Amino acid sequence: MIKCPSCQKKHPPNTLFCDECGTYLAAEADKRTDPLATGQVDWLEEDQNLVVTSVESRTDRTMTLKLLIRDSGRLVEFPLVKEINIGRLDAASATFPDLDLTVDGGLEKGVSRRHARITQEGTDLFIEDLGSVNGTLVNGKRLTPYLPHPLQSGDEIRLGEMVLRVSIV
Amino acid sequence: MPYMGVSVMAVETDYYAVLGVSRSATAQEIQKAYHALARRLHSEAAQDATLAEQFRRVQEAYEVLNDPEKRLEYDRQQAGGKLAEGPAIDLQVTLSHRSLPCLDEEQMLYAMIEITPSPHIEMRRLLLNLCLVLDRSTSMQGLRLQRVKEATHYIIDYLDDEAILSIVTFSDRAEVVLSGQRLEDRVRIKALVSAIRSSGGTEIFQGLQAGLIELERVRSPEMVNHLILLTDGQTYGDEEKCLLAADRASRHQIGISTMGIGQDWNDKLLDEIALRSGGTSAYIDSAAKVTSFFRDKVHSLVNVFARELRYTLEFGEGVRLKDSFLVSPYIARLQEREGGFHLGQLSADTPTVILLECLISPKLPGLHRLFQLELVGDVPVLGRQSERIKREVEVNFAPTRELEETVPPRIVSALGKLAIFKMQEKTMSDLERGQVEQASQRLETMATRLLNIGELELAKSALLEAGRLARSGHLSPEGRKKIRYGTRSLSLLPKEVRGD
Repeated sequence: MIKCPSCQKKHPPNTLFCDECGTYLAAEADKRTDPLATGQVDWLEEDQNLVVTSVESRTDRTMTLKLLIRDSGRLVEFPLVKEINIGRLDAASATFPDLDLTVDGGLEKGVSRRHARITQEGTDLFIEDLGSVNGTLVNGKRLTPYLPHPLQSGDEIRLGEMVLRVSIV
Repeated sequence: MPYMGVSVMAVETDYYAVLGVSRSATAQEIQKAYHALARRLHSEAAQDATLAEQFRRVQEAYEVLNDPEKRLEYDRQQAGGKLAEGPAIDLQVTLSHRSLPCLDEEQMLYAMIEITPSPHIEMRRLLLNLCLVLDRSTSMQGLRLQRVKEATHYIIDYLDDEAILSIVTFSDRAEVVLSGQRLEDRVRIKALVSAIRSSGGTEIFQGLQAGLIELERVRSPEMVNHLILLTDGQTYGDEEKCLLAADRASRHQIGISTMGIGQDWNDKLLDEIALRSGGTSAYIDSAAKVTSFFRDKVHSLVNVFARELRYTLEFGEGVRLKDSFLVSPYIARLQEREGGFHLGQLSADTPTVILLECLISPKLPGLHRLFQLELVGDVPVLGRQSERIKREVEVNFAPTRELEETVPPRIVSALGKLAIFKMQEKTMSDLERGQVEQASQRLETMATRLLNIGELELAKSALLEAGRLARSGHLSPEGRKKIRYGTRSLSLLPKEVRGD
């Protein structure tokens, strides 16, 4: 049996929504499915001592993408083994991005649930706006939705009003 | 056997290609195509024998396609020749998990079943035999009746030439404004509608009775026979007779769709009339929306692909059904009746989607039978009765949870809406049992869920009614209807919402 975290009603395993209060019950399980999304959230006092949330890369050859979220000071690392979706987690609409910006104030700063995606071709990285409401800017230049744009170390990405600093290792 | 040869030839000639129109062409389109061809060929045919032959074939094609009965017969022959083997209806089953872990307790599995017309079958519209039954009681006076007249005018313009329309008005008695006929003189018919005046009480049975008589006069099993009832009031003392009329309609393949406007009508009665006859029921919260409700309804009627759709389930060992729901075109709880679970009609442009909640007892590793589904329905477009499609569905059990599977987003999204619908059902039954406080809390939670999926207006109504309930102990009749009908039509289609 699994227990609804909000009303305590018991349900058979694999039940997805609580009959009693409509709570999405699989949220925990679904977070676990994607190793890239589980980066523990660590808050910083000042942006000098960055706490790094990292996921071990599988091979030594894999490039690593580091994103520093300016306003919250959170630094996240992704081994570039698959595309990286950036947005806000919303179970009700089944949006489970690799980088969830909810904890960094994503909603207030106008980040869409499906905002942008980072992809790799050979050694080149590209960022693509996914038709977000407030748009994506790279170094102050607004991207055309769904048109991939090259991404380099030192670039500044702006999602709505949220600023991310890129470094590729 | 020369006769056989001739008959096959006749069937093989593609009259639609001869006129250069699609199989779903309206009568107007066929006439237009014919006139254009005839004008061109007629002048040149006198000199050229090939053109003369072509002209003859155009004439022949037009004679058949311009006559609704001959056209139907021709389509059926063609269908019999070409499409007799393939199934007319497509069935797609998606499970929430393809593989389940072996647990020592019962677990849940969701199955989504999407029913659509088979893509290789060309849609042709059926003839429509429609009756509008309109409330003209005193309470309809003014803007409301005005909007209903405008909506009726719209329908008169919208319908094809060969559609048959009748119009009945009722108060405490019924009048036939337009006896069932083709729309030959639209201007005159509109004038008849404009002349409708309001007065008197509301006796729904009177209107239903007169409307059914109109439909029965012209009805045929090859047509879509439908009655649309629009009312703004409670009917007095004839509820039982109304339900008997709905049963009679169902026996005669006549569907009744009910629309309530304003707040004083009996939603349970109108729902039941629609349910028994295989129609739908709707709540029109503002007179300005009457036209769009009429248009959507008539659009879905002329796009009927299959009807009398129903399914039966045969479960594998240790599998039981918790609940089953229709989730598209609208949300409804499905209940087993005689002949299985009834789904009504399948539209050519909106899939019918069902969600089954199955509970499965502990199993050993390996493939296990979940259920066998059998879908039965009539496909009048192809002249087929009781077309059957069977599907065997299995699920795999693995010793441990090997890999985390993501539930298909379609299923999560449908279940999210279903969860809200179920809360609505629970709120109403809380209220029936007098548990006001619980109902009020439930409405508040529901408002949060509605906000999450971007249904702002409905969320507001739920919140408003939660407050009213806490203060006064009951819902407003208007709010109650908004919530009941609003949660039912939480659309499955993705919706642009919020800042996202």
